[in-house]
Amino acid sequence: MLHVKPDQTPLCETTLIERVKLGDQAAYTTIYELHIKRVYGLCLRLLADQAHAEDAAQEVFVQVWHKIAQFDGRSQFSTWLYSVASNVAISYLRKQKNWLQKVVSIEHSGMDEQSANDCQGLDGLDKLIVRLPERARMVFVLFAIEGYRHEEIAEKLGMAVGSSKSQYHRARQLLQEWYENE
Amino acid sequence: MNKPNFDDYLNESLNTLDKKITPQKDLWAGIERAMISNKQDLKGTAIWPKLTAIAACTLAALIAVNLFFIAPEPQPVVAISDYFSAQKNSLLIEYENKEALTTNWQTQLQELEEAEQAIKQVLENEPQNQALLTMLAQIYQQQLDLINKVHAPRWQHI
Repeated sequence: MLHVKPDQTPLCETTLIERVKLGDQAAYTTIYELHIKRVYGLCLRLLADQAHAEDAAQEVFVQVWHKIAQFDGRSQFSTWLYSVASNVAISYLRKQKNWLQKVVSIEHSGMDEQSANDCQGLDGLDKLIVRLPERARMVFVLFAIEGYRHEEIAEKLGMAVGSSKSQYHRARQLLQEWYENE
Repeated sequence: MNKPNFDDYLNESLNTLDKKITPQKDLWAGIERAMISNKQDLKGTAIWPKLTAIAACTLAALIAVNLFFIAPEPQPVVAISDYFSAQKNSLLIEYENKEALTTNWQTQLQELEEAEQAIKQVLENEPQNQALLTMLAQIYQQQLDLINKVHAPRWQHI
């Protein structure tokens, strides 16, 4: 297995990606080690469910292995990878909805307070974020943490730009309410 | 000590937030297995969409046959329910000893069963209502999909 020091990441990653494109699984293991925590963090915040986040993170790396040829190097690999990760997580959430939720557009509520407190790896603000209802949570994570613009979020989530902005506002209000009542 | 105001708290939290979170279990083994056996897995998982599609078509055909050809007092609800119950029981028996992916699938199944009962109640007054029959068939289909999905997920065994 290749070992990459963090300060060598940019240079080595390009080489690693070229090797992965040639089917080098050992190189891909290193790519995985470099990015799994970031990918899992994104999935956990978006999905607010530990088991689903683990499942989605696995799916991200399986998809990337098969799609790596599509990465043309014009953007940073990490930018491309995290974009794939957010798309996989969004798609995963849609698949998890049952028939009733799809028909009447019921959104997933977030974790309850106890589950958020018990969830491993979450601290401070994260414990509040995972309690947000689905749409507000996704918009908040993509906008405030991942740095997407509302136009990009609207496209990813299939909603109007105005809805993305109002969901962000809703998320902030809920976070404030919970924070002040803590 | 006073709490900082919310805006300050939020800005500070977002600025210092660690985007990395360590998963509680090793995910690599599963990814590796999926990478190696992807084609086989795809073949294995592809059968369920086909089977469920066949089941959906059969249900639709049953509705049509009952509505248009069986006279004089068709009982499409009974036919659909009988067919579905057999399918459901067969799946539940098949997966009896298999571990489910999620712990809340029975709650989800219960929600669907409640929806099924609600529609059946309305159908008692309107037994020929095609929209309701289709809805009932779809709910049955969702139940089959759920049972399949939680017991034969793509990454469960990875």
